[in-house]
Amino acid sequence: MNCEQARILLMGYLDGELDSEQEKELRRHLDTCPACRAEWESFKNLKEDTSNMKFKLLPEMYWDEYWEKVYNKIERGLGWIFFSIGAIILFGFGFYEMFRDFFMNPKEPLALKLGVGFLSIGLIVIFVSVLREKLMVRRVDKYRRVIR
Amino acid sequence: MYESITKEVSDREAVEACLRGETEMYRHIVERYKERAYYMALMFTKNHEDALDLSQEAFYRAYRSLGDFDSSRSFYSWFYRILKNLCINFVNKHKRTVRMDETMQQIFRDWDDYPDEVFEKNERSEIIWKALSQLNEKDREIIVMKDFNEFSYQEIADALEIPLGSVMSRLYYARKRLLKKLQHFEGAL
Repeated sequence: MNCEQARILLMGYLDGELDSEQEKELRRHLDTCPACRAEWESFKNLKEDTSNMKFKLLPEMYWDEYWEKVYNKIERGLGWIFFSIGAIILFGFGFYEMFRDFFMNPKEPLALKLGVGFLSIGLIVIFVSVLREKLMVRRVDKYRRVIR
Repeated sequence: MYESITKEVSDREAVEACLRGETEMYRHIVERYKERAYYMALMFTKNHEDALDLSQEAFYRAYRSLGDFDSSRSFYSWFYRILKNLCINFVNKHKRTVRMDETMQQIFRDWDDYPDEVFEKNERSEIIWKALSQLNEKDREIIVMKDFNEFSYQEIADALEIPLGSVMSRLYYARKRLLKKLQHFEGAL
């Protein structure tokens, strides 16, 4: 094993990711190479330093209700899907009723009917999507009262 | 008590059950990874409320995308990418908000400032944070994954989509650069 290989393996040794064979080989190299041993000491100290950086603990109550909040999001997410489908059907039906005479008139060209139909569906989908976004952002944006 | 239940159900089993519509089974996954997810989000946001919100939102989005998850791979590596994107979008959005409104200046602090809300404060930690903050993003990310978020090498390889064999060398060079920065700061003291 040369120094270059050994230095890369130092990481696996440090993080406990080497198999026993690799570990033995690396130890043999470290016994005979002061430069790699010095490097090993530096990395070991660094690892100790980073593991001494302690995260500020979160009060237990937040962990207790963590799953509930994720579950609520999942349930409400499904609710929004149904809301969107329902709103699109209702608006689409209302629109069709408003322009029923136009759509039923055989004198109007089919291309025009198709154009108006697709345009209306597009508008309705965009409207429902914007409406849903506004309602959701209002619900989750805690900075909504800040005047920008 | 919950811990013992969590150990019995693997990620794969839980995901398969969720895909069959058993939403409650997702709890096994959430309970297993919630702390790692929260602390990873905290490293991005430096604010515990935002970290909670974002980590929970990431679990929700992951649930919605479970159909795309390859259960032969690590769940947390896949989830990490969802969480990371969410956090980056959040941070970028709030950076813009800060510019728009001066009263919001403390919402998000850059990496340069020591994050009191993330770590217990001591002199050594401050120096390490300072050195970390001066690394390039790739180096910092892999060090944070390994040393602050308990990623295994396999999880890092999956999350960063790099060969397992490259994880050690990426970590070596990243830590080497971190040591260099640290020596620089220690020399300046």
